[in-house]
Amino acid sequence: MDVTRRMWVLAMALCLALASPALAQQQFNWQQAKGTQIRVLLNKHPWQAAIEPHLKEFETLTGIKLVAEVYPEDQFRAKVLVELASAASSIDVFMSMPAQEGLKYTRAGWLQPIDEFLKNPALTASDYNWNDFLEKSREAMVIEGKTVGLPIQVENGSLMYRKDVFQKYNVKVPTTLDELEAAAKALNGKTMTDDGQPGYGIVARGKRAAATSVFAAYLHAMGSTWLGPNREPMFNNEDGIKALELYGRLLRLYGPPGSENNHWYEASSIFSQGKAAMYTDANSLFPVIEDAQKSKVIGKVGYALFPRGPKGQYGSTVPVWGLAMPKTSQNQKGAWLFMQWATAKEQVFAVQSEKGVLGARESVWKDPKGQAKVPADLRESLTVGSKVGTPLWNPPVIAVAECRDAIGAAIVVSIQGGDVKAAANKAAADVKRIMAETEKK
Amino acid sequence: MLVFTLPSVVAVSLLMAFPVAYTLYMSVHSWYASSLTSPEFVGLGNFRRAFVEDDRFRNALWLTVYFTGLATALQLLLGVSLALVLNRPFRGKGFVRSIFLLPMVATPVAIALVWMMMYNPTLGVMNYLVGLVGLGPYKWVSNAAIVVPALAVVDTWEWTPLITLITLAGLATLPIEPYESALIDGASSTQMFWRITLPLLRPTIVVALLFRAIDCLKTFDIIYVMTQGGPGFASETLNVYTFQVGLFYFHIGYASSLLVILFALVLGVSLLLIKVRRGAW
Repeated sequence: MDVTRRMWVLAMALCLALASPALAQQQFNWQQAKGTQIRVLLNKHPWQAAIEPHLKEFETLTGIKLVAEVYPEDQFRAKVLVELASAASSIDVFMSMPAQEGLKYTRAGWLQPIDEFLKNPALTASDYNWNDFLEKSREAMVIEGKTVGLPIQVENGSLMYRKDVFQKYNVKVPTTLDELEAAAKALNGKTMTDDGQPGYGIVARGKRAAATSVFAAYLHAMGSTWLGPNREPMFNNEDGIKALELYGRLLRLYGPPGSENNHWYEASSIFSQGKAAMYTDANSLFPVIEDAQKSKVIGKVGYALFPRGPKGQYGSTVPVWGLAMPKTSQNQKGAWLFMQWATAKEQVFAVQSEKGVLGARESVWKDPKGQAKVPADLRESLTVGSKVGTPLWNPPVIAVAECRDAIGAAIVVSIQGGDVKAAANKAAADVKRIMAETEKK
Repeated sequence: MLVFTLPSVVAVSLLMAFPVAYTLYMSVHSWYASSLTSPEFVGLGNFRRAFVEDDRFRNALWLTVYFTGLATALQLLLGVSLALVLNRPFRGKGFVRSIFLLPMVATPVAIALVWMMMYNPTLGVMNYLVGLVGLGPYKWVSNAAIVVPALAVVDTWEWTPLITLITLAGLATLPIEPYESALIDGASSTQMFWRITLPLLRPTIVVALLFRAIDCLKTFDIIYVMTQGGPGFASETLNVYTFQVGLFYFHIGYASSLLVILFALVLGVSLLLIKVRRGAW
């Protein structure tokens, strides 16, 4: 009797065990890493600012203790790099742009590919729907055939301009590079603020390495690119030099003094203080520009596609931010739950509808409530830009930082009014040498 | 007893001797840390590259010397003068002394951020101030031609008190007899300063100079926060360049050799100054 009863209990337990995958599909177990802790490194960024108020919800949902650290961009990148290189990193999740560091980190074996996590129904909720992410944002997460992150934000190198100023002085919103320069010239020194102060024609980053990712749009619109078909530097060809000259000329003649030290923090504050008519940078900065507490140009800014080049080329660049997991993470399950939670439809909807973060999920873009915080022209230019643009906002090399510094030096020379051709050729020689050193087998 | 010194011997060798030895070892290797290859022995190749091929290094070396020379000279001049003033008896002397020491106690990063705002070409107070005497406006740290002097001013503001402090200590130990006999001989106060005070103070001043020179050669915080070596490479000193090479580009071997060069430079300057102190010159 006892024996049969025990057998019966055992059989029941077995049935339950077999049925559990089916149960998991209906009721995903968010508590499977309860009681553990994860350390998340975040870059100071609109997405980070928008998700931070929700982080408590993650802790409640999963029972995982979340330790989040935030650093400004340059320090953030340095910190992640140093920690990963030490091989003793305690980072579980970090914000990452694969076009910036993906190739390097992948070749170094620092990134945990997440394809297996995505496929595993015990680890990924059935309603997560990976295919809901915009196609280019998914592609941007794939390095050498492996998915290394989940997209949290898509942006375009674009043109932001003061609608009121353009209207007041009757200037056409530029759709080509020639019109861009003409508009910068026409509007430079004109009154742009309520207190009657004059503003600059245009503002953009001029700080060495930081400037290259904005310059990328000028470079591609002009018809050049970073590397040629045999991976030799190409940005110093005729079109590339034209782009360099244009960038330097714009900031030197029609931009604020001291552009050489401006990163996006400085450039965006000059623009949001109403001191410039145009601003070329990532359109993801629009929450900064429309910030009710800090900005003086709320509702006055138009978000356009980056101007096209002389031969009609598009310049829009398509950078994508994602969340990635180091191989060294001691709590990969907890890390994955966080990555999944932060990119699930609910959170994408939350950050997009509350703070206007440019999410990567198509379903959220289709939801009228998901678009409410995003200006209509930005929505439109972002959709078009992400179709016709280029993912090459960075030179496609391993030593991105070093090559960006080399190219950025030429940009600074151009802003200062030096010999652009010589600087471009030097930068090309430097990039060639750097690639030879860092990409040798 | 050997056994009592053992903990400190272990600590020193782990924390100081090993890193130095490892840096020396790495400096003769080529190692790009994010590739999976192991270090490759290149002999003195890194040093050859630095002095022969790398114009960014030569630029950094010159800027390091330029910055150090300018900053220490300014600090020495102001610091010693300030000490002589503060050494005279006046009401509220203790209070004034403590006030003058405050910049030294503040966090360098905070100082750098405040100066950044003061140097801002459009919004900063510096252009207003120089405008009062009919100068400017300047682009300050955004202008390649004046970025190093502008940074030297910040360093001077922060570290002049150290020289003042050391000089004050030196002044307190000066013997009174030489002054008494000089007074009897009818020496003027200017003569007493040049013939008695300054020579007697020389060892103290050299010590202060030594501290500042070593620190200036290695300055990192204010430069990194304010310009990160920019505009272009116009304020990229050796320490900032080495940081970029090592921690942004990850050429660990080459960065190590740059550190060895910086170390040699600091050591050389220190030995020179110690020699000066002993009166060999």
